[in-house]
Amino acid sequence: MDSKQSADAVARRAPTPVKIVIAGGFGVGKTTAVGAISEIKPLRTEAAMTTAGAEVDHSDLTPGKTTTTVALDFGCITIDEEVKLYLFGTPGQDRFGFMWRDIVHGALGALVIVDTRRIDDCFPAVDYFEKAGLPFVVAVNLFDGVLQHHIDDIRWALAVGEHVPLITFDARNKLSVRDALLAVLHNTFRVKSEAVGAGR
Amino acid sequence: MNRPLPPPGGQSRDVSGVRPYLLTSGRSQPVDESLEIEAQVATSSQGATSPGTLTFEHRDIVELCRTTMSVAEIAALLRLHIGVARVLVADLAAHGYVVVRRPSAALGQDLGMIERVIRGLETIR
Repeated sequence: MDSKQSADAVARRAPTPVKIVIAGGFGVGKTTAVGAISEIKPLRTEAAMTTAGAEVDHSDLTPGKTTTTVALDFGCITIDEEVKLYLFGTPGQDRFGFMWRDIVHGALGALVIVDTRRIDDCFPAVDYFEKAGLPFVVAVNLFDGVLQHHIDDIRWALAVGEHVPLITFDARNKLSVRDALLAVLHNTFRVKSEAVGAGR
Repeated sequence: MNRPLPPPGGQSRDVSGVRPYLLTSGRSQPVDESLEIEAQVATSSQGATSPGTLTFEHRDIVELCRTTMSVAEIAALLRLHIGVARVLVADLAAHGYVVVRRPSAALGQDLGMIERVIRGLETIR
């Protein structure tokens, strides 16, 4: 085989990567959820963003420019011999930029994790996915197995439509996280098959 | 970051005249810095047999990708910023040291793929 053919053969053997976005405010349990189910220990990678924002994490010495480092936690699950599912947590900072676009582009869906004590924290993610047209599910992370508010009250506070599934789960529990991811996929399937049915 | 890659086997980089394309659902796309974070990177046979001419991060990536992994994993394991990892992988792919499998953007609409992932997750106990 010449090198082009052998390169193609190597590329064909590589798995097809798919991904689900894990979003939500700071400390809601994104990394916990990823860690509960990921086959690899959750990894963290960083991206440098240059911003002109007022809030910064650290600044470099270039006048008028500040550089922020954005951390991205992620994990991976082998689906079968050809498909690998990545779970990408959105950056903890409440800012949007190229990283959100790269995380969301081509994703199968998103899980927006909510802490009922700080419901507002998930609004930016909900807005982003609605604008991006990425189907998502909202999941209340039950820290102690008890839902403090009635689920309908949470839905009202979130201001998401009836078509957005709202579930509860325990981010520490592998099977619970699995079920949340299944909810995301079933929701995307429904949304996309309805779109196909409507000829869109 | 300006460490030029030595041409493989002493040839000039334009000898073949073909940038190594890669397969995405049967189509070919060039590798560049817009590389997806989940794109899969694997060391080519050229990379496996001639890494000695590479240095620093280029060499680290070729060694690491003897096990196929994503651009994000490369960045995390080598403690590189994602943007840097993308550029390095694009360099290496252009010179034939690694091959890259990029995801199809249409996967999010692919009902068959969604079902397949559902089946796979359902086997988790």
